[in-house]
Amino acid sequence: MTVITPSGAPLASRIAEYRHCATLLVFLTLRDIRLRYRHTLLGILWAVAQPVLPMLIFAAVFSRTLRFETGAPYFLFVFAGLAPWMFLANAVNSASTAFISNYNLLNKVYFPRAILPAAAVFAFVIDWLVAGAVLAGLCAWNGFAPQMEWLALPAIVPAGVFVAMVAGLGAASLSALFRDMKTVVPFLVQVWMYATPVFYPLDVLPAAIRRVIGFNPMTGVVEAFRACLFGRPLDWTLIAQSAVATVVLTIAVAMLFNALEADLAEQV
Amino acid sequence: MNAISIQNVSKDFSLGASGRGYRTVKDVLSSGWRRKGKPFRALDGVSFDVAAGEAIGVVGRNGAGKSTLLKLLARILRPTSGRIELRGRVGSLLEVGAGFHPDLSGRENIFLNAAILGMSHREILQKLDAIVAFAGFEKHLDEPVKHYSSGMFMRLAFAVAAHIDPEILLLDEVLAVGDADFQKRCLDRLEQVGRNGQTVVFVSHNMQAMVRLCSRAVLLEDGKVAAIGSAQEIATRYLQSGAGNRAERCYSDGLHAPGDGIARLRAVRIRSRAGEVLETVDIGCEFAIEVEFDVLAGGAALFPSIVLNNEWGPVLWTTDVATEWHAKPRPEGRYRCTAWVPADLIGPGAMSVTAAMYSFQPYTLHFRESDAVSFQAAETRSGSRGGFLGHIDGGVRPRLEWTVEHRDAV
Repeated sequence: MTVITPSGAPLASRIAEYRHCATLLVFLTLRDIRLRYRHTLLGILWAVAQPVLPMLIFAAVFSRTLRFETGAPYFLFVFAGLAPWMFLANAVNSASTAFISNYNLLNKVYFPRAILPAAAVFAFVIDWLVAGAVLAGLCAWNGFAPQMEWLALPAIVPAGVFVAMVAGLGAASLSALFRDMKTVVPFLVQVWMYATPVFYPLDVLPAAIRRVIGFNPMTGVVEAFRACLFGRPLDWTLIAQSAVATVVLTIAVAMLFNALEADLAEQV
Repeated sequence: MNAISIQNVSKDFSLGASGRGYRTVKDVLSSGWRRKGKPFRALDGVSFDVAAGEAIGVVGRNGAGKSTLLKLLARILRPTSGRIELRGRVGSLLEVGAGFHPDLSGRENIFLNAAILGMSHREILQKLDAIVAFAGFEKHLDEPVKHYSSGMFMRLAFAVAAHIDPEILLLDEVLAVGDADFQKRCLDRLEQVGRNGQTVVFVSHNMQAMVRLCSRAVLLEDGKVAAIGSAQEIATRYLQSGAGNRAERCYSDGLHAPGDGIARLRAVRIRSRAGEVLETVDIGCEFAIEVEFDVLAGGAALFPSIVLNNEWGPVLWTTDVATEWHAKPRPEGRYRCTAWVPADLIGPGAMSVTAAMYSFQPYTLHFRESDAVSFQAAETRSGSRGGFLGHIDGGVRPRLEWTVEHRDAV
């Protein structure tokens, strides 16, 4: 029996509902992928082009000015950072409008609401995978032969997807509450990139910043992805710090979404 | 056993002072978190039970709370107070085609829409053939639905919706679309659903369909349950009473009547040639919209204006420019202007009248009373529809003079 009261369903039963949503998640994700690449000139090649363009810019700028010591060709270093980063940035930006742009669905059909931003995030996983495949080819070409550490790469992708889902749900909830968040989110994502070691190595940072940069959920993902790719040891302190930050972010977003969910159809 | 039990349920909507549904950070910084403005009570202490396997109709004027009630049952909105118990899996069909995307193909939309309506992948595959057969076309399934005619689109959308198989089915005005043949098939399908032991809650303005599908019905007025009874009884009451319309309004208190020092509204009414006030107007008969007003200071050339609205917007505008009073200064006294609406002009639906008074040079609005009176336009005679039983679009439905030429060979 379902009981509907002003206080809403208990949290446990709301979480349990997501078990029945696999089909919906798959078809919403497919919808987002199809709509993104249908009628485009390059189709899925955009997944490669998107990180390539900023890579070329960063490579052009920093290979002549600052000359970071990265242990690998700088363009490879940047590409290895941009592959997970572009996934996160696109996924969070896209998820942030998931509630607003699906207003008609929210107002006409009931389903567990967090499916919408989750599908927006999943639709970009394919971009990360395509970029990763290109990256692997570039690495092999430049003398970083496939090695045992590459087997750990598929474990890092789910971690990145989780961070993107949490951040995306948070951005979508804030955008539903305040319409102007739609313009704020891309800006925040931009700031987030500078706080993540995407185009610079960690050891160029001052010691004070070096101590806290781990408490950024994406630092662990980007650093671990790069370490595995180039066959370097993992920095477990950094990963632990990022895990703590991810847990804190998850709790905050869960509380925000929990407060918003029941009235979502009225808010957007 | 009851499949649905609704216990003293109320629902308030807090409308922002700005009139928008949403807020910005600036709004919160300048006026605080709590929304200002009076909450609007859409449902007020609604209670009734629905037995398992029963089909129940919900009728009422626009704004009576029918759709809000369905949204509460579907868990799209949550109640402000009260309690609802549902036994069984709930499927809701509040809009045919919700979630369809114009750029996706018919086939892609079937899968997406079925998943949105709660079907599992296996269920969709099982029912795919039946859905395609129900839609009645297979040829264009791989084309984007934006190239479909609206008829094809509705067929496909309803085909998907007709195959959801919940224990409790919530339907809102789903028959308001499609051609007559297709509507008949939809009704047959819905009847079959009722016979399979499913519990159905059916919201509609179409009394014919409601009586056919439902055994019992609930009449909502201003968010409250006004009556519960057999479907036939409720349909008759809804049509005859005008369901809470107010077809005459008199402003006897001179001070609070709309107006200024020049003109003041006294009364607005809908009446027949015999002088009888009409809460339900047969669109096949003529009727009058009458406005009474006082001119308190003579000398201004006044333009009384009457706007007739249905739920979608204005359908008719009229003023007395064709009379001897056009652009002529009016002396003090009481005036009664009557606008005669001919038979076979307006379409059916819930109608409301706005009465206003202007003068020009300089432009002055003396009063503007929206929703001064309201009535139900119904078709009890032919209603200019011939033998067609389905929904006809449009705010007006004039009987026009048609000529048809036919040649045997081209």
